[in-house]
Amino acid sequence: MDESRRSFLKKSGAGVALLTIAPRTAFGKMGGKNNYIAPSDQLTRGIIGVGGIGNSSSHFASDQSCRLVALCDVDQNHLDKTLARAKDKFGETLKSYHDFRDLIHDPDIDIVHIATPPHWHGIMACEAANAGKDIFCEKPMTRTIGEGLRVKEAVKRNGSIFRLNTWFRFKDTFYGLGTTVEPLKKLVASGQLGWPLTVRISGATGFAWKFFWTGKENLIPQAVPAELDYDMWLGPAPYKPYNPHRVHQTFRGYWDYDGGGLGDMGQHYIDPVQYFLGKDNELPVKVEIDAPQQHPDAIGIWRSITYTYADGCRIILEGEGFESTGKVPYIEGPKGCVYKGFECTIPNVMDVINELPDPEPRNTDFLECVRTRRKFALNEENGFHSSTIVNMGIIAHRLGRTLNFDPSTMSFINDDAANLLINQPMRGNWADSLK
Amino acid sequence: MKRIFTTIIAALAISASIFAQDARQRLTTTIVGDVLAQMPAQNAADFSTNLKDIAASAPESVIILADMLQSAEKGANNKVEYVLSGVTNYVSVEGAQYKDAVKNGLKAAAAKASDKYNKQFIETQLRLLSPEAEPKMEEAVLSAKETAAKIKADMKSGKRNLLCEALYLKAKSGAFTSKDVLAALKSSDRSYRTMALGYANALNDKKLNFQIAKAFGKLSDDAKEDVLNWFGDNKAADQIDFIIETLGSKKLAAKAGVMSSAIEAAGKIGGNKAADALIAQLGGKYGEAAKKAILSFPGSLNNKVAEAFKTAEGSALDNLLDIAYARQMTNCAEKFYDLAKNGNAKAASLLKGVVTPQDASRLSTLADKAEGALAESYARAFESSLRTLAPAEMYSKAKYAMEGARNKERFFQALAKSGTDEAVADLTKAYKAGSASALDALGAIQNVKAAETLLEAGKAGNQAALDQYVSKVKTFVSNPDKRCAAYIDALEAATGIDLKKRILKELGATPTSKAFAVAAPFLKDKDLNIAAATAVKDIAAKCIDELPYQEKVDVLNEAIATLAARNMDDDVYAIDQIKKLVNEAEAPVPVSALTAEEAAQGFEMLFDGTNLDKWTGNKEGYKIQNNTIYVSAGYGSGGNLYTIKEYRDFVYRFEFCFVRPGVNNGVGVRTPMGVDAAYEGMCEVQILDHDDPIYAGWLKAHQVHGSVYGVIPAKRIVHKPVGEWSTEEIRVQGNHITVTVNGEVIVDGDIKEACQGHNVAPDGSDHNPFTVDGKNHPGMFNETGHIGFLGHGAGVKFRNVRVLDLTPAAPAKKKGRK
Repeated sequence: MDESRRSFLKKSGAGVALLTIAPRTAFGKMGGKNNYIAPSDQLTRGIIGVGGIGNSSSHFASDQSCRLVALCDVDQNHLDKTLARAKDKFGETLKSYHDFRDLIHDPDIDIVHIATPPHWHGIMACEAANAGKDIFCEKPMTRTIGEGLRVKEAVKRNGSIFRLNTWFRFKDTFYGLGTTVEPLKKLVASGQLGWPLTVRISGATGFAWKFFWTGKENLIPQAVPAELDYDMWLGPAPYKPYNPHRVHQTFRGYWDYDGGGLGDMGQHYIDPVQYFLGKDNELPVKVEIDAPQQHPDAIGIWRSITYTYADGCRIILEGEGFESTGKVPYIEGPKGCVYKGFECTIPNVMDVINELPDPEPRNTDFLECVRTRRKFALNEENGFHSSTIVNMGIIAHRLGRTLNFDPSTMSFINDDAANLLINQPMRGNWADSLK
Repeated sequence: MKRIFTTIIAALAISASIFAQDARQRLTTTIVGDVLAQMPAQNAADFSTNLKDIAASAPESVIILADMLQSAEKGANNKVEYVLSGVTNYVSVEGAQYKDAVKNGLKAAAAKASDKYNKQFIETQLRLLSPEAEPKMEEAVLSAKETAAKIKADMKSGKRNLLCEALYLKAKSGAFTSKDVLAALKSSDRSYRTMALGYANALNDKKLNFQIAKAFGKLSDDAKEDVLNWFGDNKAADQIDFIIETLGSKKLAAKAGVMSSAIEAAGKIGGNKAADALIAQLGGKYGEAAKKAILSFPGSLNNKVAEAFKTAEGSALDNLLDIAYARQMTNCAEKFYDLAKNGNAKAASLLKGVVTPQDASRLSTLADKAEGALAESYARAFESSLRTLAPAEMYSKAKYAMEGARNKERFFQALAKSGTDEAVADLTKAYKAGSASALDALGAIQNVKAAETLLEAGKAGNQAALDQYVSKVKTFVSNPDKRCAAYIDALEAATGIDLKKRILKELGATPTSKAFAVAAPFLKDKDLNIAAATAVKDIAAKCIDELPYQEKVDVLNEAIATLAARNMDDDVYAIDQIKKLVNEAEAPVPVSALTAEEAAQGFEMLFDGTNLDKWTGNKEGYKIQNNTIYVSAGYGSGGNLYTIKEYRDFVYRFEFCFVRPGVNNGVGVRTPMGVDAAYEGMCEVQILDHDDPIYAGWLKAHQVHGSVYGVIPAKRIVHKPVGEWSTEEIRVQGNHITVTVNGEVIVDGDIKEACQGHNVAPDGSDHNPFTVDGKNHPGMFNETGHIGFLGHGAGVKFRNVRVLDLTPAAPAKKKGRK
């Protein structure tokens, strides 16, 4: 049965019963009499990658509106541990998969939750879209700009609903600002700070870059542990001899799989900036880097990264240990500044903000978006842009030089090597998954 | 500055052009060795300087480097990898003139590489220089016929994603029309409908909106929602009448989804009509949705809201109150007063959002006279009415209100809001007179002067006051020592676990050795050990160098054990971070002193750890760190440090420690300043971590550690591991030099004999057949000169540097001789 269930997610209809995937009794534990949700209206989800974020309490959930039905991991220990947890937590035996393609093509699954290291995101998202699934993808969206473009296209082509999972553009206290992002958005949109603006993402303004995500050089090859399918863990990445530092949490320190602290935290920090600058459909035209020379495998630190947009707005990232000293603004404009803790040079700024209309409403309920087929607030388009900004920084970091970017052609100007990092070769025939 | 000269070794078996020399007369192998010792470059300028040297000597340099790559098991390729990837990056833009030569080198290297992974690495570099060879990743282009066939097959499939693909292909091929949109809306597949609407945007068909509106009545409820959502997202102003009509439709009134979508669309489109329609909805079944739309409504609605207040009741009134409050509509204030007076508790509690300083006296009277919750609401409104005033004015108004009031306590919060010292004084007095609410106000006041009283109350058992005390310290006390002292007080007075946890967390943000010592014992407390582990980690991360060595190592190891025992996945990051701190912790180096024997012999301390007073030269690149001289001077940056005094015969003793592999430095003897001591001075005694694999296979005996560079070979020693200290003595008397490392004599020779008296070529040429390195050493017979550390890149430390001057003093000073 490879028919997508979703086209039948109607409130009534003879076909529904046939496609029911679980008996009503299975929900007895969760659904009371009055809030019973028919299984046919209940969405289902499978998680790929349960060693990290996929096993976090916020994602390892199953309820009436969306039931967790399957897990996938290439580390048998992770899989066994999480299956046991599911039994404890939900009293259910989940399906388990070793090969993510089996999970994606499982007809019982509506939503594919991608919680693997970033070098898999593009492939899995395209596969899922092509299989007619909706996608919940952890940040960063993709490890390369090229993969991001392909995910965007595959989602569009297949009409999937895509959620990129970082959330500061629509909920939670926004790091050092001590507020959600909305008041900032209103303040910026009001023009009271002037234009163009400079945003400084730094320890000095309340943001940590997690420089402990650096790789190690000279890794000594070791035997692959029995529980790990290392070849499948690497997937599209070049085959390099196994060393435990390459995999699981510490993979973030290697170019082949991620982009260090910038790759890990960049989209969390930069995505809300795109939103409040009103630049969701824009990209910077220049990125400058100040960093020591980088090793070709292991990612090291950087001192600063500066992005400049065509209109002169800038985002300055200050590396850990290289922060500006003294009081520096988070947002700096010709007419006013905003500091950590939402301190502002504009007198009575909250009075100013309160009188302004709220930002336009956004669709922040992913399951509702899946049901109504509306774009989620952070989707394959705006998510692609913030992911691309992170990737521009990573390429500049890797090459150690200023890059000029032409958003209209999505390429770097007069820099072949930088352009060759937009798309990167994939091992075996994994690149076919992007088509 | 020194260079590492080599001759070709047979194992390399490469072309004779390895003898090629650059402008500075270096052989390619020399250049490679020099650059390897500089890796990784710390900044863009060093990067360019170094990699340009490699690029300019490609392809030989690249081939030599690639030959140095070993199998990964040896774990020692990093520097070579830095150079090869660095030169690739360098020539890909900046040094483009060398690109072909580097590519040729990489090609040759790839062809002969035997190790699979090293070959892969070389090929990866080659790829970055070969854009022309990159396979195209373009999608297959379908012909018009194929596209049509695919669309047909997709439509037939009935699968959601293939239906969407059919639309995608139609849109891409230009075959998508308004008719498709209208047809799609009848589909039962929601994705198909919404995607079709999405593609409709590009059609720019002005009639389409109207056609869709016309067909609306016959669409399914879900499809109606889709259409309304789409109108809203597109801000379809031409459909506002239609949307308002929909909102008024009796037939649709019960369809929650449709109505919500219509309301949301009206809100996004905006304008007068939409505003009226939304306000009219406030009292209805969809009042909440209408309120949300109004809160984000583009433009001001103050007048319309005020107007609506006149007749509103029930839920409409509630919603209007929320809106006026959220938008601070002061023009609606009278309505709030009226309602509050007549018992509307919501209006009373929200009054604070619509008041200005003009309301202050009216509110103070109301606040004093009212009872219960209403009094509280008026008091909050009074406080809020002052919010835009300067602190002094705020204080005087609050104080005035308080003094005239029967219920003075009702004005304490307003007083506190001013944040002034006077307010602190007033409130402290009131607290001492027995007022509990004065203490609450002291907790709220943004003034550090309230801290003392809060601590006092905390010590007397009031944990809430203590919590406020901690907040005050956190906000106002920036001096870390003072902050630490304040937290110690708080910890002593705290009784609750949560408060103690909080204080430990704040201690964590107080990077002092005292804070570290205070937090550490809590690692033994089963309720607080995790908080303590986090605190010591955070403190150490910020001030690791200030912490006593053994204490920090012990405490941090205990923190690792504490976190590890909890066995939570997320702690891996913290544990890694602490391990890194432990690994990087450096044992303190004591200030050096002459031994009794040295003192008796007349040794002079040149560097004991405290100052560089007897030195001159690059004191930026030779910094005192932990009582050692840390060499950070980069390559080619004049990285030399000289004794101020000049010496002829001497015994020079020092200790050295490599902090990273492959470091290169040297001791200049009888040298002028600012020249190359190996040639212009008497000689340079090599300091080199020659065990690093970057030197494997090609370093000559006259280049190893201790050698009189290019003149007298040294016995090759095995260095202690990186990070450990070695001792060295250089004794120079006349033409005689002895070098002793860790007690072992490795050079004992006569410099004049070594070159048979020919420090320069007898024929005046550049090639001197009498020196081991074949070079001229014009300074070799210098009578006197400075002693110097000759930098050749960062990463070495020196300590305990002393000298015994053996130079016979002039006859007049005979008495002073030993």
